Amino acid sequence: MAADQAESNLQVQPLPLMKRLTQEHTRVFFFSLGKLGRNPVGTLLTALVIGVALALPAGMHVLTQNLSKISYSWQDSLQLSLFLKDSVSSERGAALAREIRDRPGVQATRYVSREQSLAEFRSQSGFGEALDVLQDNPLPAVIAVTPERGRNKLQVEVLLGELTRLPEVDLAKLDQKWLERLYAILGIIDRAVFIVGLLLGIAVVVTVGNTIRLDIEARREEISVMKLIGAPDSFIRRPFLYTGFWYGLAGSVFALVLVLAGTLALSGPSETLASLYDSTFTLSGLSFGSSLLLLLTGIVLGWIGAWITVWRHLAHIQPQ
Amino acid sequence: MTDIIHFNQVGYRYPGGKDVLSDVTFSLGRGEMAFVTGSSGAGKTTLLRLVGLLCKPTRGQVMVDDVNLASLKGGDIAPFRQRIGMVFQNFNLLYDRTVFDNVALPLVIRGFAYSDVQRRVRAALDAVGLLNREKSSPLTLSGGEQQRVGIARAIVSKPALILADEPTGNLDPEMSKEVMKLFERFNQVGVSVLIATHALHLIVHMPHRIIHLDGGKITARRPRTPAMNDLPPFPGEDLRGR
Ligand SMILES: Nc1ncnc2c1ncn2[C@@H]1O[C@H](COP(=O)(O)OP(=O)(O)O)[C@@H](O)[C@H]1O
Ligand SMILES: [Mg+2]
Repeated sequence: MAADQAESNLQVQPLPLMKRLTQEHTRVFFFSLGKLGRNPVGTLLTALVIGVALALPAGMHVLTQNLSKISYSWQDSLQLSLFLKDSVSSERGAALAREIRDRPGVQATRYVSREQSLAEFRSQSGFGEALDVLQDNPLPAVIAVTPERGRNKLQVEVLLGELTRLPEVDLAKLDQKWLERLYAILGIIDRAVFIVGLLLGIAVVVTVGNTIRLDIEARREEISVMKLIGAPDSFIRRPFLYTGFWYGLAGSVFALVLVLAGTLALSGPSETLASLYDSTFTLSGLSFGSSLLLLLTGIVLGWIGAWITVWRHLAHIQPQ
Repeated sequence: MTDIIHFNQVGYRYPGGKDVLSDVTFSLGRGEMAFVTGSSGAGKTTLLRLVGLLCKPTRGQVMVDDVNLASLKGGDIAPFRQRIGMVFQNFNLLYDRTVFDNVALPLVIRGFAYSDVQRRVRAALDAVGLLNREKSSPLTLSGGEQQRVGIARAIVSKPALILADEPTGNLDPEMSKEVMKLFERFNQVGVSVLIATHALHLIVHMPHRIIHLDGGKITARRPRTPAMNDLPPFPGEDLRGR
């Protein structure tokens, strides 16, 4: 072109594609971050909203993970509890425990007299003084029966039926029963987490999308000028997509912090609770993998929100 | 490889409106500078918009740099616009960036290396006499300076063609003359320049071709004049008083 001849000493070419994309993405990466930094309050509020939306399902996930861990550890110590009638003496009770231990399918038994029950309850529950008010010991004697390992559910239930029919036994209970219930509940919670997660994921997309829509509105003229001087759509789109990326990243970092704080706040009480059940259970937070997944989810949702908005709104801006 | 712009019986009508341009036929040669004149509403802006592919003719053909613009669509439009330098009456600068960044934009869009961008932006700013203001915000500049930033941005990617729509519309007479001289200087190094203006008094004694529009039709033409002192009379000259 004619103008080039006049200034041929300045003749330059655009960079090769890969270098060009690297340079351009690096530029927009920081450019979009700088733009967000100019409105720190608004940016943080948006990121916080996204963070809460992501923290809810993530927190619920942590909860179900922990609950299923508890139930898993209890499955190991599967027990039958035989509550004896009050009329049964402690000698008879202890003898019965020995008899039951000799049955096939039984690994061990432990007899806990009414007095021992009371003492254990006193020391573990912290309600000892309340019991002093009562005239009588309200607790029954218990024989804890541990079935042999490897017995299947049906065999254990047959054993339970036999033991229930013993004349000394008032009530027999398989701890598995409420474990099953817990599993069922966990199943429901898991599904709820999924649905809530899905809805809140949509909320994140909408939040980012709306924020970026306002941003596009505010920068209408700038976009129009860019189109005038020949900026392709990909060039105009890029800063907004990176803005979505930053919102998603900041939001998921917030979510991680919220979940971590929640885990820490709950870990004290939950350990007390676990000790009541003779368990060494400790509350675990998000694993490294899950944390990474949370970050990735946040980023992808932010990016999707940005993309949808940009796709819907940029085309409407025509250069004047 | 003939003319940089060629209009062949071009007509344009805004959707649902009347004809804004009709039967417009003219050419701008490579390396030529010409003015499109006419009173407000004559169709000057529309003519330039057709060249910049901001709208498409409803009749006839527009050829720019040997490309029939009717054949360009979608993704072709942005690369096409990159080949043209556009200058606007209202400058169309981005006020949240420095002068340097404004001028650099066309090069950044095209993906030049930063070292080259810097060199070319400095050269462009030097050409319009604003090298010392590269770090300023356009907001701190006078209208004339802002328009020179706009011109630097238009020439920084060395387009073969510059389009300017009322480039002096917001400038005082002194500044207007300066800006017109700038366009002449770029034309002297081979850039084709098409300028729309209603300020006939400003350009009538310049030696360039004039195409005069009235009601969307070309009603008068004045050829390029070799010397400033023997200008032939021009029918629109009575507009000069303004
Ligand atoms: N967007 C539009 N829709 C309908 N009519 C328009 C539009 N823009 C301009 N016009 C009409 O087109 C005619 C030419 O306008 P324009 O090209 O801007 O003239 P000039 O630049 O010479 O003042 C005018 O009558 C104007 O009212
Ligand atoms: Mg106009």
